[in-house]
Amino acid sequence: MERNALKSHLKNMLGPDKVLTEDLDLLYYSYDSSFLTKLQMVSPDVVVLPRSTEDVQKVMQFAFEHRIPVTPRGAGTGETGGSAPLSGGIVLDLSAWDEIVEVDAANMQVTVRPGVIHSDLNDHLAAYNMFFPPDPGSSKMCTIGGMVANNASGLRAVKYGCTEQYVLGLEVVLPDGRVITTGGMKSKAIKNVSGLNLTKLFVGSEGVLGVITRIRLRCFPKPKSRGIVMAVFDNLDDAPATVLEVYREGILPSGIEILDSSAIRAVNAFKPHINLPDAEAILLFEVDGNPPSVEWEGTTIVKIAEKRARQVEWSTEPKRMAALWEGRSVTAAAAARVRPDGSRIFAGEDIAVPLSGVAEALRRIRALGEKHGIQVVNYGHIGDGNVHTAPVIDPENPAEVEKVMELVHDIHLLAIELQGTTTGEHGVGAVRREYARLEHGPAVDVMQSIKKALDPYNIMNPGKLF
Amino acid sequence: MELQQFPLVKDQLKKCVRCGRCRTVCPIFAEIRNETVAPRGHVFMVQALRDNKVLPEKQVYDRLSNCLLCETCSINCPSGIDIHELNKAARSFIYKKNPSMVKDLFLDRVWTNPTLMRLGGLALWTFNKSGLQKAARSLGLTKLLPGDLSQAEQIMQDVPRRSARSILPEINPPRGEKKLRVGYFLGCGTDLFSPSVAVATVKVLTSLGCEVIIPRDMKCCGLPHAANGKIDSARDLMIQNLKVFNSLNLDYIVTDCGSCSSALSEESLKLLLVDQGYDEEIEKFCSRLYDLNKFLLEVLEISPRELSSLDMKVTYHDPCHLAKAQGIRREPREILRMIPGLELVEMEDSERCCGGSGTFSMTHYDLSMKVLGKKMDSIARTGANVIATCCPSCTMQLKHGTNLYGYAAPVKHPVELLAESGTQFRQQ
Repeated sequence: MERNALKSHLKNMLGPDKVLTEDLDLLYYSYDSSFLTKLQMVSPDVVVLPRSTEDVQKVMQFAFEHRIPVTPRGAGTGETGGSAPLSGGIVLDLSAWDEIVEVDAANMQVTVRPGVIHSDLNDHLAAYNMFFPPDPGSSKMCTIGGMVANNASGLRAVKYGCTEQYVLGLEVVLPDGRVITTGGMKSKAIKNVSGLNLTKLFVGSEGVLGVITRIRLRCFPKPKSRGIVMAVFDNLDDAPATVLEVYREGILPSGIEILDSSAIRAVNAFKPHINLPDAEAILLFEVDGNPPSVEWEGTTIVKIAEKRARQVEWSTEPKRMAALWEGRSVTAAAAARVRPDGSRIFAGEDIAVPLSGVAEALRRIRALGEKHGIQVVNYGHIGDGNVHTAPVIDPENPAEVEKVMELVHDIHLLAIELQGTTTGEHGVGAVRREYARLEHGPAVDVMQSIKKALDPYNIMNPGKLF
Repeated sequence: MELQQFPLVKDQLKKCVRCGRCRTVCPIFAEIRNETVAPRGHVFMVQALRDNKVLPEKQVYDRLSNCLLCETCSINCPSGIDIHELNKAARSFIYKKNPSMVKDLFLDRVWTNPTLMRLGGLALWTFNKSGLQKAARSLGLTKLLPGDLSQAEQIMQDVPRRSARSILPEINPPRGEKKLRVGYFLGCGTDLFSPSVAVATVKVLTSLGCEVIIPRDMKCCGLPHAANGKIDSARDLMIQNLKVFNSLNLDYIVTDCGSCSSALSEESLKLLLVDQGYDEEIEKFCSRLYDLNKFLLEVLEISPRELSSLDMKVTYHDPCHLAKAQGIRREPREILRMIPGLELVEMEDSERCCGGSGTFSMTHYDLSMKVLGKKMDSIARTGANVIATCCPSCTMQLKHGTNLYGYAAPVKHPVELLAESGTQFRQQ
């Protein structure tokens, strides 16, 4: 369909307030937080800001009829180009549709529209002494819709898992405009094994199967107490060995984070007052629960860590916990500061490997950085083997861009070689789809069959996922 | 200057990873809710301009102007980017290629000339008080004003008849023994719209042994010019101000306006006058510069003695340029707490922008009023009968808010309340 006709059709259909058509305005929808969208700038033909399921349904019926690509988008905080269009079409900006429809405290669940911000939801649930446990680093800006579409997790995944474990049901507008409710049309049950599990099919589908318009989430009771252990290691291998021993002792911390020597240097350069000890690795364990169990778990972790660590500290005092955690909380920002003329980029940033392979992964990523002449900072969720690598380059230097793309490719191949995955929690989007077959083999054919069954004209977020 | 030559464009632009943290803290984004007003969107647009992906046209300027320059994004940016400065640089770059005669006339001819400003103020006062404003409104004539001014003229409802400069002499002798010679940087907003603040400032300072000099040839701090794309004009104004104040043999320079003190800070001036050879002049000026609240507490070290009790419930609004740009939050509150009988009640989100932002409320009236609405809700929930703040632009906006929402509370600078309570202080 001709561009201007598309714009005027959608304006007439939804009203001018819900449609952006000026070329300049469309440019703002060419990016997310990925490095890819810094390198290429593809604008949609039109942006729609839906405020109801009917709005989305009308757009999808129209797009289906005219074979127009549709890219759903939350806050655009993703790192894979997943919410940026690759070939024009319609972008559905769902971020302003942020209604908390119902808190059903009696049934420990909440129903929201896709644009609710993660931290806003948890602030709201705190009044009911509940929380939605997945805890992404982007909590203050990412939307629940985006989290569901990418099956996001974060710092506390080691104990609480990923978003998929909390999604009880979804309302989805399919590519042809049909609206379905997964998890039972009227169900409020927490357990439900009736029928094929379509909820899990849509969670993490990155917008290639339909548009998520309502989300029913399971909530957990909010833990009463927290504690932090910091352990400093001179030998990198001692860090995963300690984690394993903590597990074997029967403890499942709510978070286990690692900073390797590159991250320690970055944090100290960024905020000298944090003054992290110079070491090969620092581990941070977070434990939560009722006060006696937190105390027992914390002190037991200390005893285990002391066998290998040079220095161990434990606290349940809020100010001290904040100080211990500060190094981790600034790492992402600190990475960019290791090089005054450089910038941290989001590429090759999210591999996950088996716990037994973490130390090797960290060492080999550092070696790959040296091989390609690129500075890297490593940190991540060691408890589930998820390593975040931050390459720091001058993004305006084409030679460095070329080198970093080679490095990123090598990091992805390394993840697969170590029996891991190219992405632990950020998703595939446009930047990792080339590894789909390497990771999944013939299963990709089945994925494509499912896609074709629901989206025969390939209009839903084309060019993403596989 | 080409866009890529602006220092922050050169150094900071590439550091933006578009994480989106700025979206959720931006008061404008909270109202418009689409990416075109997200602070990272402004950074993106600056980059697109620099790389010639978009042309420096008025429509780009208009997008960049959907920003209060309140600095909330900048202080929250994990990558440490001064987003507001990038925005100002881009506005200036575009404005040079798309100048406006009206803006040039107003900002370069009137705003830079204290006499014309005073006459303008008098004209506004006459317009208010003579009933002309009322008549013009009832005849619908104000609707003929360009753009948002047709509504924004309401903000200038209570323009005082006399400016501070016409009330206060150039040299204000100290009461009692002279201890310090203080230059008073009298901002345009305080001068024209809040002269009572200037009178209170002079009263308090002179009572504490300061000789207060109000140089007649000082100029605007240049912030309105920089915000409106006229960085060259802002430069000229500040060069003049440096010359004036540095030639006066002053012990200190004080201002009661948060926006002025932010524009006059060493960091801002060095950015504005980069590579112009003024570093020494700037250091001389800034080493003596103080926000009034800080000056009273840190230099004069005042503590209360025989202050009259003021039976009032006060809530304090943090001006963006004082709190976020300079980190001055404790001092105004400490001054308020010195006054016996005064109960200070904190509003929710006291640092949230009021939407005034200098000329923003004139150029984006509807949007500005939406931002103001949230602020007025926070104020109303405190039940305060006085609103305190340290910026004439915030004062005008909040006064307009009290009129719009029928909330009966005067808006005052802490120094006015201090002066009202009697000026018997003890210096440590």
